[in-house]
Amino acid sequence: MQIGLCDPHSLVGPRRQRRDCNQESCDWCGAHQADQPKTANSFKSVGSSTERGPRGMLLLLLRLVNMADQNKTGTEGKLFSEILSPSELFAARSRSHKIPVRGQKDFFPNDSDEQRQRLEQSLNEHWSLTSEERVERLGNLVKAVWIPSDQIVELQSPAGKFWQTMGFSANGKQYLLPEEALYLMECGNVQVFYRDLPLSIQDGYERFLSSATVTLQQYQVFGHLKRLGYVVHRFDPSSEPSSYARQLNLPQSRDRAGRQLKRKRSPSPTATCSYTEAQVESTIEKMEEDKCSLEGDDAKKLAASPDIQTATTSGADEGRSWWMTDDLGASDKELHHSPTSGSSRWDFSSIPFPDVGSSERHPSCLAPPEPSLLPGDLTVGVCDIASWRRKINLRMVKMSSKEQKREKDTRRRRWDVNKDREVRRCRNWAEYHELLARRQRKRKGRPAHLWNREVTPLHDPKQPISTGELLDKISVIKSTHLLEGASRLKGSEQWRICFNVYQPDTVADFKKSNPGKPYSRMCVCSFDGPVPDLRAIKLLAFQSGDIPVVFAVVDHGDISFYTFKDFQLPTDVFP
Amino acid sequence: MEDSPSMDDHQDSSLVVGVGLCDSAPLLWRLQDLKTARRLGLVGALLGSLPRTPRQNQRLGRPLLLLPEEEQLLRDEEAAGALPGPNQDVGGAELRRQFEEDQQRSFEEQSVLALEDRKSALRRAMTSSHTGSESGAEAVDEALCGRLEALDHSFSFPQSAMAVQLSTARAGLSYCPEARAHLQASWPIREQNNPRSDARYQVFRDLRGRGFYLTSAGKFGGDFLVYPGDPLRFHAHFIAVCLTLDESICLLDVLAVARLGSNVKKTVLLCSPVPDGGVCYTSLQWSGMV
Repeated sequence: MQIGLCDPHSLVGPRRQRRDCNQESCDWCGAHQADQPKTANSFKSVGSSTERGPRGMLLLLLRLVNMADQNKTGTEGKLFSEILSPSELFAARSRSHKIPVRGQKDFFPNDSDEQRQRLEQSLNEHWSLTSEERVERLGNLVKAVWIPSDQIVELQSPAGKFWQTMGFSANGKQYLLPEEALYLMECGNVQVFYRDLPLSIQDGYERFLSSATVTLQQYQVFGHLKRLGYVVHRFDPSSEPSSYARQLNLPQSRDRAGRQLKRKRSPSPTATCSYTEAQVESTIEKMEEDKCSLEGDDAKKLAASPDIQTATTSGADEGRSWWMTDDLGASDKELHHSPTSGSSRWDFSSIPFPDVGSSERHPSCLAPPEPSLLPGDLTVGVCDIASWRRKINLRMVKMSSKEQKREKDTRRRRWDVNKDREVRRCRNWAEYHELLARRQRKRKGRPAHLWNREVTPLHDPKQPISTGELLDKISVIKSTHLLEGASRLKGSEQWRICFNVYQPDTVADFKKSNPGKPYSRMCVCSFDGPVPDLRAIKLLAFQSGDIPVVFAVVDHGDISFYTFKDFQLPTDVFP
Repeated sequence: MEDSPSMDDHQDSSLVVGVGLCDSAPLLWRLQDLKTARRLGLVGALLGSLPRTPRQNQRLGRPLLLLPEEEQLLRDEEAAGALPGPNQDVGGAELRRQFEEDQQRSFEEQSVLALEDRKSALRRAMTSSHTGSESGAEAVDEALCGRLEALDHSFSFPQSAMAVQLSTARAGLSYCPEARAHLQASWPIREQNNPRSDARYQVFRDLRGRGFYLTSAGKFGGDFLVYPGDPLRFHAHFIAVCLTLDESICLLDVLAVARLGSNVKKTVLLCSPVPDGGVCYTSLQWSGMV
C-alpha cells in the first residue's frame, strides 16, 4: 500500500499516482481530488469521518470498497493493471477530447536542462495519451458476438450510424465483417463478446486478423482509410461486371451476405474470360488476321501446284512424249542455246501447225489431230478445208517499190522479238508473260533485286501515303496500352486487390446494396516485398476494369500510396 | 516497496516486455511494456486508433509494432517474453461470474457517485444564485435541504448511463508481471537467416549501442532513420542503408539514394558490418566541383 509522496514528474504513470496521492494541490490529481470524497484513498482517514447519516454511511461503504479493490490487485499488479476503478470510470466523463499540439523539434541534443525538460514534457504527454483507456457509456455501445466458425461478428443490439456504410444483413440478423468490427471496437462504438466475456482490443487483433480474413497490414490500410472518412469494402473479383456488361450499363446488385457466410471459404476462381474484348482493337490483332489470310492463300497455292505438277508428270507418263524433247536430243536448227531445264520442253519443229492461208501449199484437208491429245473417246476424222480456203482472200498483195522500201525499213527497225535472248529462253507463254511483267516493273521503277526478294522496301515511293501512316510503318516498336493481352493472364496469389474505396462525401447517400463505382481499389503490399512487375500491373488493371488501382505500401506503421497511370506518348502527326 | 524511486528502478531492470503475436507480427500492448521498450531506446510504431480521438491519423495509439531488429534485440538481451495467446484463457464459468459481479459493483458505485455529483451541482447552483440576496441564509438552506431530499428519493441511475471500459490489453494478463524464465522458454523462434537481415541487425545493434534511436525508413528508400535523440524531440539526421561488404551496388542506385537524401535534408549512410564485429560507415555528400 503506497502512501508515499506523489512525484508528478516521475515516469511511472499518472494512473498509479491518482490512487496514492494525498496532496491536496497536486497538479496531476488535483481535479480528481475535487470530484471525490477526499478520504477514499488512505488508511489513515477511515476512522476520522465526521459525516453522519445515510450519506456518511455511503461514504464509508465507498472507502471500504475502494480499499478492498486496491488490496486485491496487490502492489506488483498495479504496475501492469490497466483496469479502471468505477470512480475512474465515472470521472472519465469529463475527459478532454483534444490532442495537444506538438511543438517544434530541436536540432541537436546537448545536455541542457531546457532540452531535458522539454523531452520529459513530450514523453509525459505521449504516455498520458497512450495510456488512456476507452471508456464509453453503456447505452452508446452496440453489443455484438464473435462467431469464430464463420469468422463473423453478429450484432445483438440495433446498429448505430455506422450501419449506413458497414455490415450486412443475413438470415434476419445483422453482421459485421471482422475488420469492420475491430475498427468499431477501436472507435468505441461496439463491444464484442465471446463466451459472455467482452473482448479487449488485443483479443480483437489476435482473433480477427489472420491470412484467412484480413491480415494485419491490410487492416492497417483499412483503418487508415476509414479514419480519414472513406468507405472501404472488401473486393470480390467474381462480383465485378464483365466489360461487356459494363458496356450495356447493366444495373449491378450486390450480395455481401451470400459471400461472407459460406461455410468453407475457398478462394473464388478467377473470372474466366468468356467474352471477347470487342472494344480493344489492336493493330497486332489485325496484322495477325492478315497473316492468317495470307497463309491461307499460300496454302491454297501450295495445294494447287502439286495438282499441276502431277498433271504434267502424268501426261508425261501417258505417252505424250513425242513433242517432249530432252536437252540432249534437242535439234539445234531452231534452238541457238540449249534450255537450262528441258524435261518438259516442246519441240515445235515436230509439231505441225497447219498454214491454212499459205498459197504455196494447197492442202485440201487437214490431218486428224493426235488421238492422245483428244479428251476421252473422241475421234476426229480428216477435215476438209477446201470450202474454208475459198473464203480466205488469197490474193497476193502488190506493193509499189516505195511501199516495199518502207516495208523493209520498218521491218528492219522493228525489233524482232524473236531475236531477244530472254524471249528465246521462255519455254511457254507463262514464262513469256512473266518476262513482260518483269520488264514492265523495272520500267516502272520496281527493280527485281529490290522487290522480288524476301526483304522488300517498306514502301514504294511512287505510292501516295500520309505522313501518319508512313510513321506507323516505320515505327519498329508499336505503341501498346496497359490492358493489351491482360485477359490472357492468370491470377496470382501474390498480387490481388483487397478493397474497394468510396469517396467520403458520398456517405450521406451511400447505399450498401448499390454502392456505385468505387473511387479506387487498393492492393496492399510492403517495402519488404517485390515491386509489382508489368504482369502484375496488367493483371490488376484488368481485374479492376476502369477504376484505378492504388498500391498501399505498408512500412511498419507508415503507409504510402502509389498508382500507375496508363500514358500515351503524344503524336505530332495529324493525318 | 517502501519508497517509490528505488522500487521503480528495481522493477525497471527486472521487467520483461510481454510481446503478443498478431498475424506473426510482434506487438506490445501494455503501457508498461511500451515504457520499458522506450527506456531501452526502442521506438517502434503505434498502429491502433487513439482512444481519445479515434478518427484521425496524426497520432495513433496502442498496439506498438516492433521492428524485427528490435524484437531480436529484446530477445538477445533476454528482456522479452511471449504473452500467452488468445485461446489460452478463454473464459470459464468462474471468470464469467467474476465479470458479472464486477459490473454490478461498478454500477452501484457509479450510481452513488452520480447522485453525489448531481447533489453538489444542485448545491452550487442554488448557493451561487442566492449569493448577495437579502432573503436570508435560513430560507436558502431549507429550500436546499428540501430539494436534496427530493433528489434522494427520485433519483435513478439507469443501466445505460453506466460507464464501461473497453480494455486495450487483455485483462487477464494485467495482474502480475511475468517471470523472465517462464516466458523465455515459450519465445517462438522466428529468425530470418539471410545475409541482408543479418547486416541490418548488426547495424541496428551498433547504432543503438552508440545511443541513436532508429525507426523504419521505407519511405525514404533506406533501411533505418537515425535520430540523435528521442524522435519526439529531434529530427532524423541520417538515412541508413545496410549492405553486406561483398554486395555490389549499381552506381545508379547510389545516385538515386543520394539525390533522395539531399531532397529530404538527411545524410545517407552506407553501413556494412565488418568481420571483426564492428560496422563500417560511409556517408554520401553531394558536393560540387572542388
